[in-house]
Amino acid sequence: MAVGGQDVLRRVGEASVLILISLAGGPKHGYALIQDIKELADVQLGPGTLYGALDRLERLGLIESLPADDRRRPYRITAPGAAALRVHLDAVERVSAAGRLRLQLGGT
Amino acid sequence: MDRLVEASLRCYPARWRQRHGDEAAELAALLIRDGRPAGSIARSYLAGAVREWLTPRPGRRVRAMACALLAATSLLGVSAGLLASAGPAKAASTSQPHAQCRPAPGLLSAPGLLPAPGRAHVIIRKAGHARSC
Repeated sequence: MAVGGQDVLRRVGEASVLILISLAGGPKHGYALIQDIKELADVQLGPGTLYGALDRLERLGLIESLPADDRRRPYRITAPGAAALRVHLDAVERVSAAGRLRLQLGGT
Repeated sequence: MDRLVEASLRCYPARWRQRHGDEAAELAALLIRDGRPAGSIARSYLAGAVREWLTPRPGRRVRAMACALLAATSLLGVSAGLLASAGPAKAASTSQPHAQCRPAPGLLSAPGLLPAPGRAHVIIRKAGHARSC
């Protein structure tokens, strides 16, 4: 839900953003998400945090669950989820660039 | 599965357990197999359960509003009952002016401030003393 370019992911927390980034690479279930996020960002997501974030993202319509195979339920990013992630990453990039520029200008 | 983890999963609301319970148990087993301490998994699930209970849900919001409405109605009923029972006693006490409740001469500077006959409910404060008439 990137309404008018607004960054809706600003307040959802780091775990939710990492989950969206992981799902941008394709659908995954809980265990695969935890493994991927560990490799991607060196962040060890707790399973309680994972399910809380998945529920929140699903309520926001940014991800959707797919039919479960065995006991594992895969999730995939939705079109509004991809748009929201793009807006968020753009915003992070802008802040990052500004920070680097200021570090150069400050000579530190 | 570890008993601590099992216990922490039981802390979630039934709706959550119905949806995620089996998968969460399997995920815990996989993480323990990978070497993650069962205690940290249980802690994470416990914190998640607390968050889950504290997160407002549409159904829960309706129930909370119904409870608040019921409480407010009860409170209004009790207040109305108290007022109704206090009404006649107050009316009886104020129907006749009390002679001893007239302010002492000199306490009121303006003559227009004297209480009207039959409506002698004036509180006079001077030099820290109060009289209710």
